[in-house]
Amino acid sequence: MISTNSTGEPALRIENLDKYYGTFHALRGINLSVKRGEKIVVCGPSGSGKSTMIRCINRLEQHNGGRIEVLGTELNDDVGNIDEIRREVGMVFQHFNLFPHMTVLENCMISPMIVRKQPRAQAEATARLYLEKVRIPEQAMKYPSQLSGGQQQRVAIARALCMQPQIMLFDEPTSALDPEMVSEVLDVMVTLASEGMTMICVTHEMGFARRVADRMIFMDGGDIVEEASPDEFFTSSRNERTRQFLSQVLGH
Amino acid sequence: MVSLLRNQKVRNALLQVLYVGSIAAMVLAGIVIARRNLADQGITSGFDFLFKSTGWDVNFSLLPATANDPYWWYFLIGIINTLFLGSVGLILATIVGTIVGLARTSSNDLARLLGRTYVDIFRNIPLILQVFFWYAIITHLPTPRSAHEAWGFLLTSRGLYIPFPNVGSAAFAAATLAVIAAIVLPAWLGRTSRLAQPIGQRRTIQFAAAAAALACAAIILAIGRMPDTPLLDFPALQGLNLRGGLRIPPEFATLAIAIAIYGGSYIAEIVRGGFKAVGTGQVEAALSLGLSPWRVFTLVRLPLALRAMLPILANQYVWLMKATTMGIAVGFTDFFMIVALTINHSGQTLEAIGILMAGFLAINLSLAAVFNRINKAIALKGNQLRG
Amino acid sequence: MEMVVVAPPAPGRLEDLRRRFFATPLQAVLSLACLAIMVFLVWKLLNWAVFSAVFTTSGGPEACQAAAGACWSVIAARWRIIFFGLYPYEEQWRSALACVAVVVMTVLSCIPAFWTGRRIALVWGAGTSLFYVLMKGGVLGLAHVGEEAWGGLALTLFIFVTTCLIGFPLAICLALLRRSELPWISRTTGLIIDGVRSLPLISILFTFAVVLPFALPQWLQGDKLYRVILGSALFFSAYQAEIVRGGMQGVATGQEEAAMALGMRYWQRVSRILLPQAMRNAMPATINQFVISFKETSLVVIVGFFEILASGNAAYGTGEWRFAYVEVYAFIAFIYFIFVFSLSRYGAFLERRMSVSER
Ligand SMILES: Nc1ncnc2c1ncn2[C@@H]1O[C@H](COP(=O)(O)OP(=O)(O)O)[C@@H](O)[C@H]1O
Ligand SMILES: [Mg+2]
Repeated sequence: MISTNSTGEPALRIENLDKYYGTFHALRGINLSVKRGEKIVVCGPSGSGKSTMIRCINRLEQHNGGRIEVLGTELNDDVGNIDEIRREVGMVFQHFNLFPHMTVLENCMISPMIVRKQPRAQAEATARLYLEKVRIPEQAMKYPSQLSGGQQQRVAIARALCMQPQIMLFDEPTSALDPEMVSEVLDVMVTLASEGMTMICVTHEMGFARRVADRMIFMDGGDIVEEASPDEFFTSSRNERTRQFLSQVLGH
Repeated sequence: MVSLLRNQKVRNALLQVLYVGSIAAMVLAGIVIARRNLADQGITSGFDFLFKSTGWDVNFSLLPATANDPYWWYFLIGIINTLFLGSVGLILATIVGTIVGLARTSSNDLARLLGRTYVDIFRNIPLILQVFFWYAIITHLPTPRSAHEAWGFLLTSRGLYIPFPNVGSAAFAAATLAVIAAIVLPAWLGRTSRLAQPIGQRRTIQFAAAAAALACAAIILAIGRMPDTPLLDFPALQGLNLRGGLRIPPEFATLAIAIAIYGGSYIAEIVRGGFKAVGTGQVEAALSLGLSPWRVFTLVRLPLALRAMLPILANQYVWLMKATTMGIAVGFTDFFMIVALTINHSGQTLEAIGILMAGFLAINLSLAAVFNRINKAIALKGNQLRG
Repeated sequence: MEMVVVAPPAPGRLEDLRRRFFATPLQAVLSLACLAIMVFLVWKLLNWAVFSAVFTTSGGPEACQAAAGACWSVIAARWRIIFFGLYPYEEQWRSALACVAVVVMTVLSCIPAFWTGRRIALVWGAGTSLFYVLMKGGVLGLAHVGEEAWGGLALTLFIFVTTCLIGFPLAICLALLRRSELPWISRTTGLIIDGVRSLPLISILFTFAVVLPFALPQWLQGDKLYRVILGSALFFSAYQAEIVRGGMQGVATGQEEAAMALGMRYWQRVSRILLPQAMRNAMPATINQFVISFKETSLVVIVGFFEILASGNAAYGTGEWRFAYVEVYAFIAFIYFIFVFSLSRYGAFLERRMSVSER
């Protein structure tokens, strides 16, 4: 059983994680531990395995070696464990992945209703609460295709929050957005962070990382190359690859 | 035990074993029960019956057939009948479909209306109903004695009689092959990889090849001709019966007509779709180069449309081949009817059904293979069809 | 003086006609030829079907046969057999009502408001039960009429509706099984689907009607009618499964991933996320498949059922109406045409509307 308020064990523990796509070694023995309430920002060049790693955490990808333990439950072939972990881990995708045949409100209500078996009234109340929180309560009755990209991504965040997860995963939530919409999504994420949510964000928004991250992780070639506090990471990184990457992302 | 069932890998393995196992079990049980039931009726299973003589006749065959022939020979006759009817139907349907399809894409409103009416009517009436209709029409034609005659053709309730060259069947088959060669050879030669000559010379060689093949056909006909007879044998009334010419039995004529008309309405839509898929950009570009409308059609629109419609056309042809099984409705001994008759007469149910499935699988697969070859041969290099 | 500006003449009717039909000599020839064909056909048809036709039964078959045009009297005399087959005469209103129920059901399922899994299941469940109760009777004071007495249009509709009712869920199952991640399940299903698709429908109907009884234990054999319906449903589902699978491939992979990330189980993902979107994608092709399937229902005549074609054969085949086969076939063709044409027009309309809304 996933314990909701024990503070002793970490929210997430990854040990020697290996992942292969066929013969391609995508993750090479990753180790990572995340405390409750901690905010991790993951960055690294394209193809370095960032998405693969966070998709392993809720079993959108199946790992081939090592251990993943989420909120004290091991992620293995046990179907019950997988279901439990997915209920407690929310995820936000690069391309929003809202359900186009449902209204915004229905998008937010469906999972609490059929997975958590909440009554409709309660699910709707929760959904409206979180839509308020991401600042689009007035769009509840619209369909996703009627919203802008930034609005869609905020709905996606609200949808994940409606399941009241303990950990949130973000996979490049702003990289499919037009520049003027990036900040509205980041603002929501900053608020979320300030409320103490455990967050693992893959993002290249370094301003956001500086403000929010407790720890920066730099990945390259399927491995974690550097792990440091933001201050250290941005100002005095020892790693050559990191410095090169930062100079590219931040501009000259 | 419970924790084992919660394991994803165990579950997956179990599901697969259960699914495949239960299907295999059902099939096996069916076969076992059928064998026992058939054995109770005194029918021993096995393929020995293939070499026994059938004791019944077929009403249409391109090969010599008597009731003494063994079953395997009859199955062969059935397959050939199916392929023959299928090819005739396919060629006729393609001709009808092309004409109607071109009418549907024409710039003339009246031609379009005519084409559309044709498609709407014949596509929306079941094929079997059309088969019954044409069969009733043909079998209600006058008897040979008062037959309609036109240009040497006779329409009677006993079939359609057409003039036919006075040659033996072997010579006729050889001549047919030569004519087919006259069509296929130039196309085959036309592929740049085989002839590295400039276009003009290539044309000449293509024409020469076609002419040579046609000449071959003519020579074969001339040599194979029965002595002291005219080149063409016209059907004529002698006493109570018609003599001479080639008789197309009512069953075959019915099916060929019905398949041509019904299939034609589908192919017309495919042709129209093909032309619609050709972007107006290419046509405008060609026109702006100063090409005449006819050359734009033959050099640009037709080749591009052909490539777009070929895959769909292939499916339609497979469908047409299967439509020959309508033969049983009017008593044409196609492959399926031979199988049904075999089951009736010999009781070798499982074996006959097995042969039926194998036969159609073979027909489908070989048609698919042929079309894949053609598709590859004419495929555009690169993706010029886009945009 | 040469610089006079002449306003282009407003194109009159005649000018417009000339431009549309007589722009070039070739166009003119084509137009005239088409016009001639059309006038000839329409005149022939009208003359046969209306002007010279006999509509009443008063003169009897002999007078009718003597007429130059169509003899619609045969329909007036034999329409009951065409519509109802051998259904008992006093009970034929039930058969008629049952047909109306099916038509209403079909029309209802063309309305977008009914396009949720539950509603469509409800409409079809209710429609089919109503049809069955009306036809079979034995309850509510309706006299019992066994399936062997069903015939004509009612039987055709019954076979079609039950084929879809069984075949549609089966198609969804087959499509799901074929795209399963478990290799043995998807391969076996693929083999079944491709195998069925490579066979002609007639051979499958024949197998289910004639051969299957050998391979089934006595208690499983059931009525020949239901075996044939099962065969036809299997054939329908093999084709429909590929259509549904195509619709599923049109659903972005992100959709399933999002559903998984929200904790939904397999069936929840399939029923709430995958199928609603896949069915919408597959709608035009599905209607096309319904159209084809309706036409193919007529093939059951070959395995000996008294559906509308067979009853048509019977309507002219016996006794004094022997000569009136064209009229009977024309009438049946007309009935089929109404059903098939309206359904396929609806499909085309839907396709156009969907392609517009995508833009
Ligand atoms: N489904 C897959 N099949 C095969 N290779 C994959 C698949 N997904 C990702 N990869 C490969 O794994 C590597 C890591 O991918 P990913 O985690 O998406 O990188 P990132 O998110 O850091 O850009 C890449 O080289 C990619 O090509
Ligand atoms: Mg990525």
